Order: sequence, then C-alpha cells, then structure tokens
Amino acid sequence: MTTEQEFAIIDQVLAGHQFAYAELVDQYKNYGFTLALKILNDRAEAEEATQDAFVKAYHHLKDFNRNSKFSTWFYRIVFNTAVSYKRKQKGVLQSIEKTDVRLYAESQSQLEKDDKKKFITAAMAILNEADRLALTLFYLKEHSLEEIAEITGMQPNTVKVRIHRARQRLADELTRLLKKEALTL
Amino acid sequence: MGKQPDISDDYLLNYLDGSLNPEEQNALKQTLISNQRAKERLEELRTIHTFLKSVRIEETSKNFTERVINRLHQPQSSGYLTRNGILLLAGALLTIGLASLLLSSGMFDTVSSINLNQLGIPNTYFERNLPAIPFNGRLIVNVVILANIALAFIVLDRTVLKPWFERRREMHQM
Repeated sequence: MTTEQEFAIIDQVLAGHQFAYAELVDQYKNYGFTLALKILNDRAEAEEATQDAFVKAYHHLKDFNRNSKFSTWFYRIVFNTAVSYKRKQKGVLQSIEKTDVRLYAESQSQLEKDDKKKFITAAMAILNEADRLALTLFYLKEHSLEEIAEITGMQPNTVKVRIHRARQRLADELTRLLKKEALTL
Repeated sequence: MGKQPDISDDYLLNYLDGSLNPEEQNALKQTLISNQRAKERLEELRTIHTFLKSVRIEETSKNFTERVINRLHQPQSSGYLTRNGILLLAGALLTIGLASLLLSSGMFDTVSSINLNQLGIPNTYFERNLPAIPFNGRLIVNVVILANIALAFIVLDRTVLKPWFERRREMHQM
C-alpha cells in the first residue's frame, strides 16, 4: 500500500467511514503484533496490546500529522502500549538468573543441550524493550534507522550504536550462559 | 605467539551487516586466518546475527480485524473508572466538610462517654450497674477526617492525575 493510498483511507476514516479502517488494520496487524510479541513474550497479551494500539490510533487519527508514514506512527503506539502492558505484567522483573534455572530444567529433559536458540531467547531478557524492538525492526529490514529511532524514541544518531551494543551484550550473555551450562555437565 | 591486534566488535558487526567494502572484507578475512581471538568473537556475534535474522512476522488470530472494529466504539473502561473515582472523591470531600462543620459547631464536645445503663437493657440480667465507656468524640471525628483526606488524595492521584498525565504523555509521544 502506498503512502497516498494510506492517506486516502485515513481521509475516509476521518470522514466517518469507520469500516475503511479495517484496511489499515489488515495491512499492519501482523507486523504490529510481531513487535508487541517481542516486548511481551506472550501471544494473548501481545494480541490484546495490538488491538488496544489500533483503537488508540483510531481515536487519535486526527492528530496524525502525516510527516511520517502511518506505519511508523502506528508502531510507536504499539511500542508504548506494549511497554505499558509490560509494566502491568506480573513478575515482569524476572531476572536472567531465574530464566537460566528454568532453561536448564527444560534443557535437561526436553531440549537438545546445544540448542543455542533457547539461550539467546533467554539472553534477550537482559535487553530493555527499546533495544529489543530496535533489533527486531533492524532485522526485519523494512525501516530506516531514522524510522527505527522514531518508533523506539531513541536519538537517530545513536540507533546504530544501540543496535551494535545490544548484539554485543547478547553475544557476551550467550557465552556466559553456555559456559555456565558446560560447568553443569 | 605474537600479540594479536584487537579487532573491535563494531568492525565485526559491520562485516556481518555487509557494511564493509570489498577491500575491507578481504583484509579482515586475511586477519582472521591468524587471529584466533577475533575469529572466535566473530563466531559468537555471527550466532546472534543468524538468530536475529531468523525473526519472522507473526500472524494474529483470524478474527483480529473484526474484533478491533467492534472495539472502536465501545466506551473506554478508563472513562468509567474516572467517573467512579470522581464520585468517590466528591463523597470523601463531602464527608470531610460535614465532619469539620459538626466538629466546629461543638457537637462532639459534650459527649465524653457512653453509658450502657441508658441503652434500655432490662437490669434483671445484671447484678450491678454497667460501666460507662469513655468516649472522645472529637478524637474519633478527627481520625475520620484524616482518613478521608488520605483517601481523597489517593483517589485524586489514581483516577484524575495519573490518567491525565498518561494521556498527555501519549499525546506527546504520537
């Protein structure tokens, strides 16, 4: 969908054609849901947060100034909404140490011991929401660094640095977790 | 073995991102042949890079769009909470006002005890007169006023100030 088509749909919605909004929802629901899921790690909550974000976007559509793409503006709302949900989540401050224990239990019984994916997923917990989202947006390759900055609320000139640092931290954490696992064998 | 030159993580990440030019890539590949530490670090970063590259778009449930459209004109739950909060706040303020008024009129100054003998219980059940319970009306009303002031502050914060600041922040961030 081109930017002009998006703006035409927005005009229709603002003119009172509520069902035109369904086109925007269909277009951005999966991407928005993916971003919310990266922050919340819970499908049901991520879906609820994404729906909330669409409802908020609808009610504030007249405030969308069209200086950026609708998607950039909308993903910013998804990010804020998901972060609010995260704050409300019980046990949100689960430490990486606790994650390790659960993972080891799983790895002993169900998973392959060299399954690095599980360890990286656990290591992701050390990153803050903005860094996690920036990494996701960067690897999905649909947004420029400036747009990633706008969505995550980072300074445009620091996005690349933050993405580099986040990957460094993940690599360090993965090494630590693998060493720790090796000691338990 | 001689000291191996450090290759920064940023440089290795730029290599993985494909940001290095062909000459830089070749130079790095040559360096990696002899620099075991950099080679290991590259593999660590490559593991993360490969994992992140595998990120895929997730799909929502089938009736997602329909549910969003249905929710568009549902009243916001926060509206109800705000209305109830304001009613509770008005109640607390009314109680504070009434209690203060009665207190200043001296209504509780004269009552100092509750005489159980005046309650109309037949004294066939008791051999002796019942005791009078000391009662400080002013103190109790003051405690009620203080509790209501605390309640009013909490309600004001939760239902008026906090939602207002959150809305302002959201508007600012959009």
